[in-house]
Amino acid sequence: MTIAELIEKTNWKLDTPELDTSMEIEGAYCGDLLSWVMGKGQPGQAWITVQVHSNVIAVALLRDFACIIVAENANVTPEFINKFIEEEMILIESGLPEYETAKTLASLGI
Amino acid sequence: MFYDLHMHSCLSPCAEDEMTPNNIVNMASIIGLDLIAVTDHNSTKQLPAIDKVAKQVGMKLLYGVEIETNEEVHVLGLFNTLEKSQKFQEWIDFYMPEVELDEDFFGHQWIMNEKDEIIAHERRLLLVSLYATLEQTVDAIHKYGGRAILAHVLDRANSVTNQLGFIPMDLPYDGLEVKSEEQRLRVIESNPWITEDSTNWFIDSDAHRLVEMSEADHYLRDSVYQKLWGEDL
Repeated sequence: MTIAELIEKTNWKLDTPELDTSMEIEGAYCGDLLSWVMGKGQPGQAWITVQVHSNVIAVALLRDFACIIVAENANVTPEFINKFIEEEMILIESGLPEYETAKTLASLGI
Repeated sequence: MFYDLHMHSCLSPCAEDEMTPNNIVNMASIIGLDLIAVTDHNSTKQLPAIDKVAKQVGMKLLYGVEIETNEEVHVLGLFNTLEKSQKFQEWIDFYMPEVELDEDFFGHQWIMNEKDEIIAHERRLLLVSLYATLEQTVDAIHKYGGRAILAHVLDRANSVTNQLGFIPMDLPYDGLEVKSEEQRLRVIESNPWITEDSTNWFIDSDAHRLVEMSEADHYLRDSVYQKLWGEDL
């Protein structure tokens, strides 16, 4: 499934609408400790997290994730979104807890 | 100066009851330390008693606290006067979630006087993360006239590298704390934007028991002390 299709099916909030969303999502990874995510995340995954420190962007680029999905309405600031746009990394907010977010992805076949 | 700038008094629930003001300061004196900081979790309320005992014994003191940010990163705030540390308590109180202490589970949170008598129990659990980001915390420590040291940066719990993967490049901290010389080399190796000279390094004990306090092994040059605490920011 592509990021565009995910947004269409879930109605989750896309914080970076100016970026290309045609990329395929190849599975997902869940985690808030960035040291773990750096070690275990795989390219093409959607990363579900409540961590909104700016180091998140660097980790996402390092692991070459398809997109970041911020769960639980964690405090996403305009500066945080701007960094994603600058680095051309897609940022989505599910508004759901991490578990519900992951379940939704699973139900869509991701 | 031989130093140990990270240790917990009996105000921290995780520290032993033996970590009283007199025991800490006198043990530091026996060990041969010249400069210490008591850094309880999210509280500066033990520092008035520590200050009195340190003055009696003639121990040089920095007035510390170990803040837990909302990313669950531990940061030391070290102030050069008691007054600044007590003023900083107001900032802590503003950002601290109200969780009641369960003494049976977490242990005591005793506030003592200079005679090691219990004068108050802190009823709010101190082992919490504040509603303030790492950046906000470093900024606040500076605004209140203190210095911000990222605590035990390679620990597997509550360290900047565990929580946030690596040490943020643009974070204006004043020093990095490690547990050993070997850890310092690992930090430099894994964070290429950090060099030996680009920051101030501290090796502290993070003692929760008297026997864990540092021996007089780690030396702080007067010039570094002067640069960091000799005058206000």
